[in-house]
Amino acid sequence: MSLLEAQREQTRARYPDEEGYVERDGVRVFYEVYGHGEPTVFLLPTWSIIHSRHWKMQIPYLARHFRVLTFDGRGNGKADRPSGIAAYTEHEFAEDSLAVMDATATESAILVGLSCGALWGTLLAANHPDRVQGAVLIGPAVPLAPGHPERNVHPFDERLDTDEGWAKYNRHYWLEHYEEFLEYFFGRMFSEPHSTKQIEDCVAWGLETDPTTLADSQDALELCGLESFEATCARVRCPVLVLHGDEDAIRPHAQGAALAEVTGGTLVTLEGSGHCPHARDPVKVNLLIRDFVESLERRTP
Amino acid sequence: MDRRLAGGEGEATAAPALEIRREQTRARYPDEEGYVERDGVRVFYEVYGHGEPTVFLLPTWSIIHSRHWKMQIPYLARHFRVLTFDGRGNGKADRPVEPEAYHEREFAADALAVMNATDTKHAVIVGFSMGAQRALVLAAEHSERVVGAAFIGPSFPGGGEPLRERWEYDFDTEYDTDEGWAKFNRHYWLRDYRAFVDFFMSRIFTEPHSTKPIEDMVGWALETDAQTLIATMETPALTPEDAQALAARVRCPVLVVHGEEDAVVSVTRGIALAEQTGGELMTLAGSGHAPHARDPVKVNLLLREFIDSVS
Repeated sequence: MSLLEAQREQTRARYPDEEGYVERDGVRVFYEVYGHGEPTVFLLPTWSIIHSRHWKMQIPYLARHFRVLTFDGRGNGKADRPSGIAAYTEHEFAEDSLAVMDATATESAILVGLSCGALWGTLLAANHPDRVQGAVLIGPAVPLAPGHPERNVHPFDERLDTDEGWAKYNRHYWLEHYEEFLEYFFGRMFSEPHSTKQIEDCVAWGLETDPTTLADSQDALELCGLESFEATCARVRCPVLVLHGDEDAIRPHAQGAALAEVTGGTLVTLEGSGHCPHARDPVKVNLLIRDFVESLERRTP
Repeated sequence: MDRRLAGGEGEATAAPALEIRREQTRARYPDEEGYVERDGVRVFYEVYGHGEPTVFLLPTWSIIHSRHWKMQIPYLARHFRVLTFDGRGNGKADRPVEPEAYHEREFAADALAVMNATDTKHAVIVGFSMGAQRALVLAAEHSERVVGAAFIGPSFPGGGEPLRERWEYDFDTEYDTDEGWAKFNRHYWLRDYRAFVDFFMSRIFTEPHSTKPIEDMVGWALETDAQTLIATMETPALTPEDAQALAARVRCPVLVVHGEEDAVVSVTRGIALAEQTGGELMTLAGSGHAPHARDPVKVNLLLREFIDSVS
């Protein structure tokens, strides 16, 4: 049933004006371009558990004002699912992002990243300042403050004798109970009441990939070279806006607050919001993104 | 035994009461509000905006009050003047105990009194579910006050069919089951009003992802009680012949909006009402009984287009 539903994609409020694949070392990712305004807003992929459709509440709105670029990152959606940890490093995501910008003749853009995508967006902004005019980082997964203690109880790789709560974040559990894991994870992602629709969407996108692919991308995140992450952040020169829900049950608000501080960015704390305010409270987040983008426009002579 | 008296139930009912007292914030607050009293019974009205014409959002069955229009008011008030009121039996209106106080003609008379109190010569009236019946009385018998009538999921006894699953049970018989529509029953209401309300609201919103409108409506239903709703059921209802005669007298433009998946009032009721009034019919694919709450953008645009067309 789930597979069937995944194949029959929901109708969209707006369809892309241009789409295509970009291939690097035999791995293809799939991009979409919407609208023709200025500047380009680049909605980055996040962890491969979901794909670019999680931006569906941003695309139609932002595309009325700006040019919007997005892509399915490796591991989900219409992108390939290479095997092995090496295919999912932060380096590969950065190179894919730049390749998509090149293929669409996008000299520079304002990046918008969620969670891991916010981490990658930070790295892009620090390492490729000529391509990045600004960065909106939502619920950033950054190692600048401790994670939630309840997520640090159980090891990912060992077989556990419990599957209570975050014990489900476990390689063995994923391989045997993938859908149950997705339901749990997205239930934590949307801690706000009345989130059944958003949870249903995300579970379906999660089912478009598989636990082995997801475990590879999880392992790659663990290996992410972040020893000098604070120094990397200090190299970010573009304007930064960090949005973080104060009820985020996936990544603590303190991580977003710390990121805003080290990048000299602005922090907007979203009261009562969980990890995905852009999906759960799209109007609020869309207006914040638009304000931010327009404030950069005014800054440009 | 009355389950509400059983141990532990007291705690369960305390939480909703607290929530009721702290009303949700609103997208828009009334520009004018007040009470109108008739024969010792007060109802509470609100006016929003200053446009033309006036759109009069009528009360429905007293199980909920005027907040069920909350997705219409802020939008319509940007274009028109919006008038609404809590009908007797819920919200800030009184809860008379006599069944006669809940006759359709009393609701219609309250509506006219509210129009008079707010200097509203005439209006486009909008009725939801039971509200269709008082709307019919107004449109047929007070045509000089009604320039158009829109009906949403109308509970119109003058045609169409009752829903099959509601045939089996009547209101007064004491059943040894409380499955499904057997809950629409005075004995069950007295035994477990909250469970009836939960059931009923879940039948209003058959669409997926309706937890929020269900929670809202359950909250409003808990602002009244089983005794009051029983009184509304004991008053003589419009007969099919009454309803047909009223429909035949309607001369103003009519719009009927009815969900094709309505699980409380069959869509055939709305189709019959449109036929008998010569009105326009819009059936909504996939919608349940309260599309104005579940798909407000769609319904608001339909209402606006209708109001623009009659004024």
